[in-house]
Amino acid sequence: MKNRNIDFSMVLALAVHDMKNSLGMLLNSLDELRAENEDKLNDSSRFNTLRYEAERIHNDLVQLLGIYRLGENNLSAHIEEHFVPDFLSEHLARHTPLLDGLGIECSIDAEDINGFFDADLLTGALNNTINNAIRYTKTRIRLTANERDGYLVIGVEDDGDGYPENMQHTGTLSFKSLDFNTGSTSLGLFFVSAVADLHKEGERTGYIKLHNGGHLGGGVFEIWLP
Amino acid sequence: MSAPDNKSTSGTNAFGKLAYLVIDDFENFRLSMRHMLRSCGADNIELVARARPAVQYCTYNHVDVVLCDYNLGQGKNGQHILEELRHKKLLQRSSLFLMVTSETSREMVMGAREYQPDAYLTKPINRAMLEKRLGSLLDQRNALLPVNREIDRENYPEAISLCMQALSRLPRYKTWLMKTLGELYFLLGDLSHAIKVYDEVLSQRELSWARFGRCKVLLASHRYDEAVESLQQLVTGHPDYMEAYDLLAEGLERQNKPGQAQKILERAIDYSPNALLRQKHLAKLAESNQDMNTAAEAWRRTVSLGVHSIHDSPSHHLALSHTLCDLSEGSTGKEGVACADEAFLVLTNMEKQFPDNDVLALRSQIVQCRIYAGQEHAQKAEAILEGIRPELTSTHSLGVETSLDYAKTLFRLGYGDEAKVLLRELSKQFEDDPGTLKKIESLMDEPVGFRMKVKARRLNRDGIEAFESGNLKEAASIFTKALEMVPDHPALNLNQVQVLMKEYESNTYQKDLLERCQHHLSQLAGLPVQHGQYRRYLALQRKLKALNL
Repeated sequence: MKNRNIDFSMVLALAVHDMKNSLGMLLNSLDELRAENEDKLNDSSRFNTLRYEAERIHNDLVQLLGIYRLGENNLSAHIEEHFVPDFLSEHLARHTPLLDGLGIECSIDAEDINGFFDADLLTGALNNTINNAIRYTKTRIRLTANERDGYLVIGVEDDGDGYPENMQHTGTLSFKSLDFNTGSTSLGLFFVSAVADLHKEGERTGYIKLHNGGHLGGGVFEIWLP
Repeated sequence: MSAPDNKSTSGTNAFGKLAYLVIDDFENFRLSMRHMLRSCGADNIELVARARPAVQYCTYNHVDVVLCDYNLGQGKNGQHILEELRHKKLLQRSSLFLMVTSETSREMVMGAREYQPDAYLTKPINRAMLEKRLGSLLDQRNALLPVNREIDRENYPEAISLCMQALSRLPRYKTWLMKTLGELYFLLGDLSHAIKVYDEVLSQRELSWARFGRCKVLLASHRYDEAVESLQQLVTGHPDYMEAYDLLAEGLERQNKPGQAQKILERAIDYSPNALLRQKHLAKLAESNQDMNTAAEAWRRTVSLGVHSIHDSPSHHLALSHTLCDLSEGSTGKEGVACADEAFLVLTNMEKQFPDNDVLALRSQIVQCRIYAGQEHAQKAEAILEGIRPELTSTHSLGVETSLDYAKTLFRLGYGDEAKVLLRELSKQFEDDPGTLKKIESLMDEPVGFRMKVKARRLNRDGIEAFESGNLKEAASIFTKALEMVPDHPALNLNQVQVLMKEYESNTYQKDLLERCQHHLSQLAGLPVQHGQYRRYLALQRKLKALNL
């Protein structure tokens, strides 16, 4: 071997890519298993945990790849116009087996509007937030979409205990805000915040907003897109 | 409020009437896809594992929805299948092609996206997801079917008026309608309406697809500077927008900046190396820039990407062998020999891959002959030439490319006169075809290998510089050196004439300067009227006459 000049982050990215694909197959098999054994598995909390944690790792890996590409500076938003209610319901469908399994009720309350955003990027961001909501909610999740102050606001609400004081926040997270000591690295939040930031229109930039309350009285996550 | 899992009755019905084709190399996945489709109400579902049966099935059966895995193991991938189906028109525009991928990333699908799938489905896929996604795609398909039907019939004016009507009725498909309108006006050559469509979209918001469409129209309207500037901004803002690089390179070429165009394509290929047509574009550009190493690499990739592609062609293999032959010429060291060997291998493989093709076999021999000559194996070269000469007597039956290549070989083996006869015959035959004439001229002007060409061109530039700074003696000696390499080169001869005349103006007693001028002008006696240097030639001839009086 002449060339020993290994680009480590590239190697990591390739490895992550491969793991992500394997997990994709695993998730697929889990859904098939559930479909074949609906009577036995739907109430199995161990099976639900298995499915949930696998999905979580999958999402983490997707985000890692996203952040890698952010660092390489070759991630840009390809903004197109989308019909928001369709976009949200297609999204929720991805989580349907798990939601059914966990007995979580989920609703969409979206205005019939078109929004401008990069569907691929927002898919990653929403998956992450919905997954988070699944983790902290008690019984219900509500997806909302409406227009406020000229921004498209997509919200994910739950009826859990809400975000702790120090996490409630508006704006853009910087990479420095990641804290590896608390266990929860907020890597997901960082990624979602970066995705929001990639959406620009004129002088305005997208951002995220975390607070408590909403219709369900729990945590409210909002992504504001110009 | 709408519950997430409400099955729209129209959606369920829409599934039932259609024909599906599922392509995946994993049996489990095929079966589970069929299971999911059936539970959505589909009935007519065909499962295949590979590209060949997929294409075959589409040849003999109508398919409404293709669900194709991108990664099919060895051989063709999903993109290859999509290209083949759309290229051969086996799949109508009104049919849906869904690419199933296990990646959310875009890089693997960033190719020359001549054909794009109607949607991507990211694994893992569950039934609810499939039903929702496919359901809304089918709703869209049904709503837009009248437009697509007219496009399939190539009745663009009717398609345009249907789009216009739909704009107010179907606001949720506005992006699709505006995109399609822009493309249709462009296809019809109605550039002013096309640009209006894009301007209208852009007046509401900066959207990269509309900016791109606008640039395409600008280029077609010969507004190169505006297009290039706008595209440069586009690739700066969206470094992963591959089509923008391709268009930018095209614009730079039109502006006569082939060097910059090449750099742009090289940047695009750094991001996405797997687009055959982009590699081919780079290869041709590098070749005309005399950057043979880059050209060879790009042709290599073009050939290897061709293995599974509908765009494969023996001309790529030939072009690669030409470039390698150029690189090996006059270089008998290790590298030269390696290039020559590779060129032979490329030709052998080509003949194997495209058997029973007499023209290709002949063209292969023409190149082989030149490779031997360039490697100083004169005897081998002569032997091949003896063998093919009888077949190459008339340009009429040969075709332009073969004739030009044969002439090139003749020049290299020292049969310049024979080559010139052939080329004159050819230019008579194509006197109404400026493109071909241009090719003939450039071979006549510089009938040497690319290294010598590059040297002569550099000397020409140096000579002009010396002339402009008033250093006439220096200029004359530089042009003399260049003319030793390419004695028939019109521009060089005329440059020399100008230098000598200028010198004569301050030294009118040196009559021999005028004699030298006469010599260079006589060299160009056969210059064809349509040649780019012809008017300059006449002007200098008149001037010389005046000086001689």
